[in-house]
Amino acid sequence: MPVVLTRLSVFASPLALVLAWLLLARFGGFPAQLLVPPQEVYQAFVELLQSGELREHLANSLSRLALGFCAGALGGLLFGIAMALSETVEAYCGPLFHVLRQIPSIALIPMFILFFGVEETFKVVVVAKASFFPVALAASDGVKGIPRRYFEVAEVYRLPLPSLVRDVALPAAAPPIVTGLRIALSRAWMVLVAAELLAADSGLGQMIEMSRQMMRIDIVMVGVVLTGLVGFTLDHGFRLLERRLLRWRDTP
Amino acid sequence: MTAILNPRLVGAELPQPGALAIRGLNKAYRIDGRPLPVLQGIDLQVLPGEFVSIVGTSGCGKSSLLRLIVGLEREYDGQILLDGEPVRGPRLDCGLVFQDHRLFPWKTVWDNVALALKHQRLSRREKAERVDEHLALVGLTGFERAYPHQLSGGMAQRAAIARALITRPKVLLLDEPFGALDALTRIRLQAELQRIWAQQRSTMIMVTHDVEEALYLGDRVIVMEPRPGRIRHEVQVDLPHPRERNAPRLQNLRDELLRELTGD
Repeated sequence: MPVVLTRLSVFASPLALVLAWLLLARFGGFPAQLLVPPQEVYQAFVELLQSGELREHLANSLSRLALGFCAGALGGLLFGIAMALSETVEAYCGPLFHVLRQIPSIALIPMFILFFGVEETFKVVVVAKASFFPVALAASDGVKGIPRRYFEVAEVYRLPLPSLVRDVALPAAAPPIVTGLRIALSRAWMVLVAAELLAADSGLGQMIEMSRQMMRIDIVMVGVVLTGLVGFTLDHGFRLLERRLLRWRDTP
Repeated sequence: MTAILNPRLVGAELPQPGALAIRGLNKAYRIDGRPLPVLQGIDLQVLPGEFVSIVGTSGCGKSSLLRLIVGLEREYDGQILLDGEPVRGPRLDCGLVFQDHRLFPWKTVWDNVALALKHQRLSRREKAERVDEHLALVGLTGFERAYPHQLSGGMAQRAAIARALITRPKVLLLDEPFGALDALTRIRLQAELQRIWAQQRSTMIMVTHDVEEALYLGDRVIVMEPRPGRIRHEVQVDLPHPRERNAPRLQNLRDELLRELTGD
């Protein structure tokens, strides 16, 4: 396939989806208030953009995400490494950790609202919770999974501890950890939008829920599409970072 | 007789470093609480600058012996002395080439080799010179920036040899270094190793299950037998280096050794 075609192939399925949507809205017999045609959704998007409303919602959502993700990922990283290195930590915290990580973050939202109120804190906490577990798990497995033979090489060459960490342990454990971070970020974003649906005074999720109550399905659609696009962008950015960091791997 | 034929051994009386003395070495692993002997009553003297090959079937403890000498295994009975000093752990004057190259996949060839110089107080330029010099020694000039997955098995093993030599070890241990390579690459690397050994003048001890390789490279060949690993006997290969691969003397010794190892 020519290069240009390969590049354009990315757009084939979204275009097909929009086309199907267009046709269904026109000929499908659905009421126009329920299945808003794409051009009207686009119009709503432009209006929201011009009024600055959308930017505010996005900025609020993303800053919650950033705060919660950084806190959760950092905590998860430290805890995961501690669990991998210390049998004591593993013995005392391991079972509880594995039980807690089975609880969906969304299931904790009602409890978090009771504890932290409906303000910012509970949203940041739920994002941090959603980030913490995948990262902790990846960090623990990543560090435990470093092949012993690498440490033997380090031992034969008597690498000092800082070098052992920087040159051997970190790069060896990096691939699963970076993947864990990427998955955590994706999950955190989904949970955040869900939390905003339930209780928020701003943010993409709140915009969706508010518009639903006012039967502005066009704005609901704007919110839904944007949620997907933001999630995709974050994930894709992380994938690029992953590829850059792990360029030594034998993958094309 | 060996000393006359092999000029490298004439210097053995001089205080040249790289002498290894093993006396009454026993090693056992614990399996389910019961000791399983892997090495029993090993006595071995290796002269400075000597090339000693160790052959034996799998399970005869030859790899364990190298791991003990390099200091990766610290529990044993008996004595392992490197230039008169007991081995208590890995030391920089004793290098080891593993069967799998064990280069770090996230580092380039150059960085992998340079990593072995971490602890040495050398200027950046001296380090660079030394890395370049050793990469040239193993014929890897031009591949400095390559990552291990981009190298063939033979090239990766050359890089591993460069890494092992760069600390200028008095003793270099090789644990079936060419075992995973194809026959042609193996033959070429054997010749290269012979050249490198002649150039470096360090003691080398190579474990292999390839009798031909053992005879071609070794001043002496130690034959081990399994369960528990013991030294069965040793063969002096009284031919000067560099050797002809198909020298009649080597052929004879090979036939003899093979007969013995296959138990006829």
